[in-house]
Amino acid sequence: MVAGIPSNQQNERVRDALAVQFRVIAALVLRETRAAYGTSQLGYLWEIITPAAGTAILVAIFTAIGRHPPFGSSFALFFATGLLTLFLFRKFASSLMGVYDANKALMTYPPIKGTDVLYARSLLIAATQLVITVLFYSGLGAWNLAGFPAYPEKLIEAFAVTALLGFGFGATNAVLVSYFESWRQVVTILMRPLIFISAIFYVPSYMPPEVVDWLKWNPVLHCVEWMRNGYYANYDSQVLDQSYVLTVAVLLTLTGLLGERLTRQQRGGA
Amino acid sequence: MIELHDISKTYRVKGVKKPVIDRLSFTFPGDRNIAILGPNGAGKSTLMRMLAGAEEPDEGEIIRSVRVSWPLGFASGFNGSMTGVENIRFVARVYGVDAEAVIKYVQDFSELNESLRLPIKTYSSGMKARLAFGMSMAVDFDCYLIDEITAVGDQTFKKKSQAVFREKLPHSRIIMISHAMGQIRQYCDCGLLLTPQGVWYYNDVEDLIAAYEASNEDTKRVNAL
Repeated sequence: MVAGIPSNQQNERVRDALAVQFRVIAALVLRETRAAYGTSQLGYLWEIITPAAGTAILVAIFTAIGRHPPFGSSFALFFATGLLTLFLFRKFASSLMGVYDANKALMTYPPIKGTDVLYARSLLIAATQLVITVLFYSGLGAWNLAGFPAYPEKLIEAFAVTALLGFGFGATNAVLVSYFESWRQVVTILMRPLIFISAIFYVPSYMPPEVVDWLKWNPVLHCVEWMRNGYYANYDSQVLDQSYVLTVAVLLTLTGLLGERLTRQQRGGA
Repeated sequence: MIELHDISKTYRVKGVKKPVIDRLSFTFPGDRNIAILGPNGAGKSTLMRMLAGAEEPDEGEIIRSVRVSWPLGFASGFNGSMTGVENIRFVARVYGVDAEAVIKYVQDFSELNESLRLPIKTYSSGMKARLAFGMSMAVDFDCYLIDEITAVGDQTFKKKSQAVFREKLPHSRIIMISHAMGQIRQYCDCGLLLTPQGVWYYNDVEDLIAAYEASNEDTKRVNAL
């Protein structure tokens, strides 16, 4: 019943509601930090060991079979630009998928809404992955395996679009999983081939056009290409379609948020 | 203080629709302590969750003009791997109150002592209830929603809880679900009776209890036939 309320009072209500939401999200971020990494001292360490080990294994395999780096002079940098991007996407997708089921107990406290948990977890993932990405590239730089990125602003864009894509994908799947528990398995299967079809260890611009016609449907591949366009001065991807990956990311985000709103009552949240 | 305008709530369990509350309009008076009585499954806890705002009605509208607590009951929002203190800090942050003051209050009140520094999963259900009760009493609400919880702990703890309630009563109201009529008589002065046939309001708590017991007798007779 907003009709009877004077507008300055309405503004106040909106401001109060925003203040509550910021407070709730901040509280949730701190809680999630504790829940996600607090139980083991190695929690944060694993976040950096995983991409490091992945890169090291790929470097070892490709060196052993006597290949040249697919692009540039550093195996490690080439694989890292692919793997870090893929892991960023996967982290969002897998952590957000169960967000509505895992936090049912939190709904005891009325100021906390289902989407607050979604936003809090996403903020935490984005912040953690950003630190890891910076640390990782700095580490490569310190070992002389990588130089400074050619277009840092493009790296930031690529990071943001990958995060948005992961957020949209995760938020959409979270709604579906709250309906059909087995959707979780479907997503796991869908994500498995990503390591092969996301240009992690090859340059899609050098692939035959009939292969590229298929590969370019994969939005994660465009994220990797965007990242490499930013890191290398002359990567010059022939495949990257920025508006395609942006559209997919925005559509998935809208689907996820709208789906949450429409199914909120059946889930028994508020 | 809390107005219900034509609210309805239906649960869908495995495709079967089960109406819990059907077009209920009611204004909870701001100067009375209200009991909610009724047989199991009549929708008492659902109504409580909607009063708190933890759940939305399918239809209709709820207007709260006062600060309402979360529904204090068996279902707690605790994270088992976090300690008591960490859980208190979290709730204090959510409600925007001073965490250290709440910790101090709960420490004095709950008698959990060192256990507050241990993960919740090591607590007994009585300890959890004491923590939950202490936490909600530490935050100042205009209206406390209590879903069968006050009967926790030993005699001293019960006395303490009663004392806290008496302290709160001059400026806060209680809406309470309980199957213990002694408690209802002690804290409430009017109430709602929820039955599958409908909802009734009784201005006097003795009338309410009499009607509740009569409806229980009816149910028993029906079941016996």
